[in-house]
Order: sequence, then structure tokens, then C-alpha cells
Amino acid sequence: MSIQRTAAFPLLAGLALFSSAAAAEKYAVKAGTIVTRAGDDVTNGVIVIEGGKITAIGSADDVQIPWDAEVLDVPDLVAFPGFVEAHSNRGMDRANENIDVAAFLDIRDSIDPVNFYFEDSLRWGVTTINVQQGNNCVIGGQGMVVRPVAMTVEEMLVKPGAGVKMSASPKSGNSRATQAQALRRAFSDLRAYLEDLVEEKRQGFDYARREALYQGRDLEGERAKGRAMGGGAWKVEGLELVPRGEIDEKQEPLLDIVEGRVPVFFYCEAPMDVRIAVEVARDNGFLANTVLVLGASCWKAADEVAAAGRPVVLDSNLVHRERDPVTGEEQETFVPGVFQGKGVKFALQSANQSSESLWFQAAMCVGYGMSREDALAAVTTSAAEILGLGDRVGSLEVGHDGDVVLFSGDPLSVTSFVEYVVLGGDLVYERAKDVRAKHLLEGLEPPNTAPASAEGEAAGEAGEEGAEKKDEEDDTEGDQR
Amino acid sequence: MIVLALLALAAPAQRGADLVVHADRLYAAPGTVIEDGVVALAGEKIATIARGAPDSGGSDVIHVAAITAGMIDASGRVTPGQLAVEQSREVTPNVAVAVGLDVYDVGWARHLESGVTTVFVAPDSYNVIGGFGIVLKTGGPESIEARTLRADAAVCGAIGGRPSSGNSPASGTPRMKSRRPTTRMGVEWEWRKAFYDAEASERVPERAFPGSDVLRAVLRGEHALVVEAWTTQDIRTAVFLKEEMEREGLGDLRLVIDAGAEAWKEPQLLVRTGTPVVLPPFGDGRVGPERAFHAWNTAKLLRDAGLDVALSSHGAESPATTLGMQAGYAMRGGLSFDEALAAVTTTPARLLGVADRVGTVEAGKDADLVLWSGTPFEPSSRVLGVVLDGELVVDELPD
Repeated sequence: MSIQRTAAFPLLAGLALFSSAAAAEKYAVKAGTIVTRAGDDVTNGVIVIEGGKITAIGSADDVQIPWDAEVLDVPDLVAFPGFVEAHSNRGMDRANENIDVAAFLDIRDSIDPVNFYFEDSLRWGVTTINVQQGNNCVIGGQGMVVRPVAMTVEEMLVKPGAGVKMSASPKSGNSRATQAQALRRAFSDLRAYLEDLVEEKRQGFDYARREALYQGRDLEGERAKGRAMGGGAWKVEGLELVPRGEIDEKQEPLLDIVEGRVPVFFYCEAPMDVRIAVEVARDNGFLANTVLVLGASCWKAADEVAAAGRPVVLDSNLVHRERDPVTGEEQETFVPGVFQGKGVKFALQSANQSSESLWFQAAMCVGYGMSREDALAAVTTSAAEILGLGDRVGSLEVGHDGDVVLFSGDPLSVTSFVEYVVLGGDLVYERAKDVRAKHLLEGLEPPNTAPASAEGEAAGEAGEEGAEKKDEEDDTEGDQR
Repeated sequence: MIVLALLALAAPAQRGADLVVHADRLYAAPGTVIEDGVVALAGEKIATIARGAPDSGGSDVIHVAAITAGMIDASGRVTPGQLAVEQSREVTPNVAVAVGLDVYDVGWARHLESGVTTVFVAPDSYNVIGGFGIVLKTGGPESIEARTLRADAAVCGAIGGRPSSGNSPASGTPRMKSRRPTTRMGVEWEWRKAFYDAEASERVPERAFPGSDVLRAVLRGEHALVVEAWTTQDIRTAVFLKEEMEREGLGDLRLVIDAGAEAWKEPQLLVRTGTPVVLPPFGDGRVGPERAFHAWNTAKLLRDAGLDVALSSHGAESPATTLGMQAGYAMRGGLSFDEALAAVTTTPARLLGVADRVGTVEAGKDADLVLWSGTPFEPSSRVLGVVLDGELVVDELPD
């Protein structure tokens, strides 16, 4: 194995795995097996990455490595595209704001690049993460797709405008009826607001423009033009009279949603929420952009979900259990199997502990009878397609992002480790340098634990030496006691 | 494919014809794999094991990818918590946790579904010495007594902060918990006082107390002493206690450390006393109420040092924390498959004194089998069926 490295310095204790070396223009990975997730696996394969994108992939006989490429030569390892987390609300400051409709908030203001969650994601091979706001909202803020590296949000960014979170399940304090009303009212308020805006413009009132200038909003270029309203469900006639920049900053994100410019991640905790979510989305013209994020019990509404024709992101709890309170009989349902049977495209989420990451969820699906192909799709290619990134991540193909994870064995095996992660042609993770991985595996000097005593420590020194120590210790122990 | 499983807790499973089970790989014992293995049962026992696909004459033949013996959880906690611990005193060696157990608790079914057929249940660590733990099957007849394998295998206790948590010095209006010990030091004092008083009570009857006869039996080695000790200092205290009893001539404790999460720290102490260790579930570093650091390679480290290691779920119930998954995590930490299999079958069987009945797939032993959909202990494998005392009590086999 040969790696040519430029300077890498540890940034914080435990974060020594990030390299801030200058991006290698050309990078090549030589692995014993390449799982492309786009056709057959390749044995003794090579992946060439240039400018952050894969430019060649194939067997070592067929692919030429540029002479000036940095090479990661790991014939014992398995190359894999990197797991895609289709929905997550970890890695940021509090998941939700208190107000009902917060579509104007952007998650880029609350993502914490040094949050432990991102470091852990690399450790478990998750390389693309859709960070969205939490479920405790009516309409939450705007999310973004990130990769778990770098010290700034901008460097982490994969795709901005990745979607807005909504919830059909009640925000705390609401009943379901109130929640549904709040959802509907948000859009009817938008419509009324826009109609008033058009009316004011027709009557020559200047208020909206003065308000926009006062708030320092941008009224140049595209923002200075009015545009007829897009969207399929309802329209406001005359909106082209109103420059976009004059639309209130709190209402504009909702307009983007109705016009179908932004994806929506709609959370449904219970089966009854699916109807509300589909109805609100359909009535306001954004069902075609909606991804349903489902709680475990929503398998009962699988027919409704299938009829809506939209993909779903499933809860991290894969097996839904219900107990009859009278007979005590238990019923278990393997949730992903239900949606697979109805032909619904689905992605999986990891649970909170890092050891129940996406590899584990996919492995559990295989255990419950899903084919390996389908289980892997739910954490790679399907998830990527759901995020609109099917041409960039989720599989190793020419033209895709140079994101490669090297496993010590089968990615779905409990005994496999992530040994290296290459993101965009940069080596960003090496297990040999991962201090926390050493803590976890070997208990090597974790902070805040009692130091070992000299007598107690040395493992494997049983026998004579042990007996000698015992004699010594007996004397001193007697005194101490 | 929808998988629906109806688990009636008390309904009798398939009866009638004796089962014959065939597997691509029959893991009869650690180190013994039989390709194309066939197990034939007779009543509650294993009748024969053989190699070669069976001819389908008579009994139904179940086919799966792999079979292991029913797993043994060396520290399962299916108790109603505090209600199973007699807390009027801190030292209650005469009490048996068995009396406080509920045969209808859903926890038994959870263990059973995950492939655990035998479990050791200790009283929760609210007392310094909580009393007798019990080894029992996780299914079968509807009574704790009928399921019991051994009621006197071990006396259990705890060292650390747990027994004293909740106690406070008397002030204002005293409550039941206004008492000592309130610290680790007090817990240790209770341990030593209990043993010294118990030993002395032979000569000085006034120093006897309820359970002192039990402790004298423990000092003679008639029962094992299972001590829950999560952290380095608590494991150290437990080992020093054993050595003190020996040194002062009170007796030889058959010490077993339960929940020894930090046993990786000072293995030499355990090696010189030959103390077996039961490990709690692996996690992400800090585990348990004491936030002890549980390194993933603990099982391998202790095995390499020659110690007996058993794994446990310690009452955890999620799919990621089953006993089978613990074996998988132990393999991630470096154990071989056979060592991991031993840690959930033969080693706990031996430690609990029930190796004559359970732990391996052998003619004459109890018919306790786990039927796997793939390689055992991998999350991509699943427990498709469990045979307990000859009955197929868990059936998720594809039709």
C-alpha cells in the first residue's frame, strides 16, 4: 500500500482523521474488489478520480492510472460507493424552532461541522447526508445535503436547496386537527397575501416595495422582475406585476414550494397522517416534489402511499411491533418489505447510536428476507435518487463524485471496518489514524477513566511473573488493610 | 415480502411428530462444524446428530442455513426492577429472585425470539447482596419452577455506586432509604461485614443474621458469587475481597464478575485469581449506569489471557443488542467465530453448572436449537426458528 501524503495536522483531539491537505488533482484507488452498485462487481479494480469526479473505473488491466495521480493501493479491501443518508436531523443545534411556519430558516445557520455525528458518519461509511429540520414543526426550515468533512458548512455542501421539512404529525402542543389546519392555513394565508399584494400593486400602492427596501432585501436583477405564478394547483392572477424581491421573505419560501422549485420532506408519524400530507401537497401543487418520511406504523397506509406515487424514507425502526392488549398476542411487521411489495421506492435511515448506522439497517433487511441488491439500493442508489443526486452519488460510475469507501470486508458484515474514505478525490479518513476508533476498539487511554494500576495491567504475564507479583502485593495489602 | 409473526406467549407450539432439522452448517459445538448436518429430536432431548441430507420419511424436516445450540445469556434481566429486590436490608442472601419473577413477562419472549433458550437472572443491583439468582429456560411450561434449571447456582450482589444510590443519611423525617451505605466505601464495608459475621456466626451464634448460613456456603464454594462490577475500581474491589477472604482464612469465593465492562483495564488481577467475567452489551464506549468504558476487544483480550468470558444482554431488548449481536460485536473486537460461539453457549453453561443439559448440540442434551437464516451472529442473518425442549416455539420459517 502506498500513499503519498502532503501535510496533515490534527485539529482537535479525536478529530485527527481530517486531512486538510491540498486537494490532489488526480487520485486513484486500487482495490481487491469494487462494488459499483451499477452492475457487476469488479475484481482487482481501479477507480481514477480527476477534479473530484470519477473519470475511469474498471479492472486493473483495462484502466490506465495517470502517472501523476496519488495512488491508494489496497488489494485486501473492498471499495464501495459510500452510504447515503436520505434524511437526518442530527449534526446541528436544536432540531426545530418554536414557531409553526419557519420556512424562511435555513439549516446552514445551524449545522455544526465539528459535531460528533459527522465524524461518526465517516467512521461508518456514510458519505452523503441530507440534513433536515426535526419533526416538531408544522413547516420547518430549509435543509441541505452535505458530506461529513471540512470545517465550514460551505465546504461540506453537496447540494443547496435540498428541501423543506413539513410535518403532518402534530407539533408538540397541537392536536392532529390543529396541525392539519395549520398546514392548510399556511398556504391559504400565502394565497391571500399574494392576492393582496397584486391588488395593492394594481392600485398603485407602494407599501411592499418600501417595506422591502426598509428590510434591506435585494431588489436587483431577477428579484426586480415580476413573474407569473407557476404551480399546478392554484394560481394568483397578476403576480407578474409584483417584483419577486418585494414578496415578504417569510412568504417567499412557501411560494417556492407551491411553484415546485423546492423538494418537500413530509413527515408522517402515524398512518392517519399520510392522508393529510398527500392532501395538503396535492391541493397546493407540490405532491410531485414530495418525499414522505414515515414512522414505523405507517406500513398500514402503504396503499395510500403507493397511490400517491411518491418515494419514501423509512423510520430507523425496521420492525413494527404491536401487542393485542387483551390476548397478549404480538404482531411483528417488517416495514420495508411492505413498501417493497407495493412497488414504492424507499430509503432507510440510521438509528441514533452510530453502531446502528446504515450498514446495519441494510444488513437487517437482508436478514428479513430482502435481496442484498434491494437492501443495498435502499442505502445507496435509491437514497441518492430520492435526493435528486442519482447522477452524483450512490454508485461508482464515470461522471459521479469521487466518493469511495474502503471496507476491510463485506460492507454488511459486523466484523468489517471502514479503513479509508476518499471524498471528491481527497483521502479524508484513515482508520489507522482515527484516535477515537482506537479508544473504541482497544480502550486506549480514553479520557476520564481510572488509570490502571501497575499490578493490574499487564495482560498475558500470567504464571511466574504473576505469582511473584502476588507475593509482593500480599505484604503491602496487609499493611494497607 | 411481508413477514408476520404471531407470538402467543403461552400457546403451545408444534407438537406431535418429533422434529428433524437439517442445516447447511450445523455448529454442534465450538470447533465442531458439520456440513449438511441433521439433528433428530426425541421428546425433549436431542436423539441423534448426523451428516447428510435426510430422506424425507415420516417426520417433517426443517431446512435452514445454520443451526447452533440454544444460546445462554449469562446475565439477562427479566425482572420487575425494584419489586424483585427485598430492600428492607442491604444484605439479603437468603432471598431468591425467582419468587419475584413473572412468567408472563414479555421479556422472556424477547429473549426467546433472539435465540436465547437459557438465561441467568440475577436480582437488580439495588442491594449490596441481593440473593440467589436463577438459571431457567426462557419458554416452555407456564411456571417459573417448571422452567428452572438451577435455583442455587449463584448468590448475587453488586459493588459500586448502584446499591448505595437512593440511600441518604437520615435527616428530617426518615424514610426507608434513610440508611447507609450511601457510598462505595459503605457498600464495601457491608460486603466485608457480611462475610466476617457469617463466618464468625459458626462460633458466635449472636452474630448470625438471615442468610448467614448461605454466605457460609458461599465461602465453602458451594454457590458461585456473581458480583456486578462495571468499573475498574469496582472490579479491583471484588478481586481484593476474594483475596482477602482467602488470605484471612474465611474461605474460597467462587467469584464471577458480572457486567465487567472495564475488565480490559486490569486483566492481570483477574488472571491471578482465575476469575471468569460476564460482559455487558457492547456500545459506543461508555455503557451502563456507571458509564464504564467498554472496549470492543475486551472479550478477545480476556480470552487470550486464559480467562472464561461469557456475553450477556443485561436486559437490553433492541435488535442491535441481542445476545447474538453481542457475539457479532465480540467478533468485531477480534474473537474468532468459535470463541464467540463458546461465549454464548459452552462457557456460560459451564459457569452456571448446567453444561450437562445445555450448551452444545449433542445426543442426550436438551433439545434447544437456534435455526439461523445465514451465518450466525451477523445482522444480515436472522433467527428463523427456536426449538426449546423439543418444541418449535418460535417459527418464522418461510412457508
